[in-house]
Amino acid sequence: MKKRMNDAVVGIAVLAVAGALLASLAWVKQTDFGQRRHEVIARLRDVGNARVGNAVVIRGVVAGTIQAIELAPQGWVHIRMKLDRTVELPVDPVVLLNESSLFGEWQAAIDSRSALPADQEIRKEISEASGERGVLPGASFPGIGKLTAVAGQIAGDVANVASRVQTAFDDQAARELRASIKNVSDLSAVLAGTVRAHASDLDTVAVQLRTAVSSLNRTMTSVQRMVERVDTSAQSGDLRRIVDNVTVASAELRRATTQVSDLAERLSKSEGRLDTFLANGDSILAKVNSGKGSLGMFVNDPSLYRRSDSLLVQLQALIADIKANPGKYVRLRIF
Amino acid sequence: MTAATSDVPRGNILYLGAVGAVEAIGRATRRTLETVGSTSRFLGDTVLAFGDVRTWSPEVMGQARRLGVDSLPIGLFIAAFTGIVLALLASYSFTGAVPMYFVGTLVGKTVLLELAPVLTGLALAGRVGANIAAELGTMRVTEQIDALETLGYDPLAYLVVPRVIAGTTMFPVVVAAAMIMGIACGWAASALLLDLSSAEYVKGLRLFFQLFDVRYGLVKSASFGLAITLIGARRGLRAEGGAVGVGSAATSAVVYSAVLILVLDAFWAVTWLLGHEATYQ
Repeated sequence: MKKRMNDAVVGIAVLAVAGALLASLAWVKQTDFGQRRHEVIARLRDVGNARVGNAVVIRGVVAGTIQAIELAPQGWVHIRMKLDRTVELPVDPVVLLNESSLFGEWQAAIDSRSALPADQEIRKEISEASGERGVLPGASFPGIGKLTAVAGQIAGDVANVASRVQTAFDDQAARELRASIKNVSDLSAVLAGTVRAHASDLDTVAVQLRTAVSSLNRTMTSVQRMVERVDTSAQSGDLRRIVDNVTVASAELRRATTQVSDLAERLSKSEGRLDTFLANGDSILAKVNSGKGSLGMFVNDPSLYRRSDSLLVQLQALIADIKANPGKYVRLRIF
Repeated sequence: MTAATSDVPRGNILYLGAVGAVEAIGRATRRTLETVGSTSRFLGDTVLAFGDVRTWSPEVMGQARRLGVDSLPIGLFIAAFTGIVLALLASYSFTGAVPMYFVGTLVGKTVLLELAPVLTGLALAGRVGANIAAELGTMRVTEQIDALETLGYDPLAYLVVPRVIAGTTMFPVVVAAAMIMGIACGWAASALLLDLSSAEYVKGLRLFFQLFDVRYGLVKSASFGLAITLIGARRGLRAEGGAVGVGSAATSAVVYSAVLILVLDAFWAVTWLLGHEATYQ
């Protein structure tokens, strides 16, 4: 009797604990006993740190869990997700794996393709993963680990730069910088003195400038009035007449320009002839200078000059004689 | 004494001291080897005794009730307060920087992997180990075991094997109940004492939950049950000298069991948990 009681007590205890344990596990693992959820498969190149049991969210609302992550052919990874039956997927759905917090939790977010972020890499991954019938395309964002690694690399670079700056900015550089600052300070003092010294001049300049500005204002007023008159003229047709006159004047000016052009052309020809004439003259003078020809001999031969001079004297005596005795040389007879 | 030693030549004193030291080392080595040998023989005989099914099978359920079912209250009690304190400690530690739903994660992971098996094991080391050592020790000093041998019973098959089987199989049951109780009480403490909703606690509990955690804790607790019952039986069967010897056996059984639980805990962590982490990542 006691032995049977022991058997019963131990059996009850074992069954109760085993049942409670199994029920707890099923509840924690969210086991779908009645097939009340439907399965959705996504394929991605990489799943990051996503794990079985991570949440599946649609527009921020938890709609299921990741049930399995398995390798697929051609370098793909398939994620099997269980979603509540009442959940409706977005139009043209895609799956994005990302971290839901800074503490290593990941989630699978199902969203419409049109709501994808502007990240070119993500869009490229989604595009590559598309095409398999009945499987949603997916992509994974870089995890905090990658971002931290990049940040660490940046921090290392900054530290490197800081180290170089520290190396470059030694005592000598500090002394030079201090000297430069002192020079700037001295320069500022000199500038301040100069400004003080020229303050009166500046006042005068300011007064003159003010006068100039006032003159300018007056001028501007006149210009404004002139513009108004021009405007008035334009409105009354005077400007039209002026434009017509200008057109006529322009045509006349074009004709005059043509004439001037012809004149310039003729002048150019005359200049050519003049050049030829001068060249010929130069040639003649050269011959004269060299004593060639009659004129050259006449110019260069002194005996000829003397004979000519003697001839002229004789000619003058002849003319005087003719004047004195015309009858001697001229005999006029009529019939 | 001083006068006597002063008469002995200095070289002889050094010689006697060296001989004494060598003898001590040899004695310690011999005792260690005796202990190892006798323990190995005890373990071997116990394994052989498993073949005597007719002798030990009628006793298993009785021992299972005594060692397992009757230990449930103390196991649940310890687990309940462990869960509550863990939730409060986690809340105290996480305030500000870490999201509060990690209270569920910490309570779940800690209870499943460590506290439920180890604390329950330590408690049962005191209750079960001392019980076995005292019971068998009393039987040894009152020559009941000799009487059993005279009647043709194998004392290992009749006394040790049922306790070992009961301890090894019922410890996981007690620890499983302690796991559930610890997590449930942590949940209740989070809901009642902390500003943490049930949904948040469950979210944290599910966040990094793996079936491996439960498997690891249960297997570890089975090893604790095996160690506690074997040590209790071994210390009890070696008891001698009456009530003092029985008390000494019970005390040493508890101490050795507690130490071995911690050693086994480290052993499992190094050999299984570490390897699982490596393959997991």
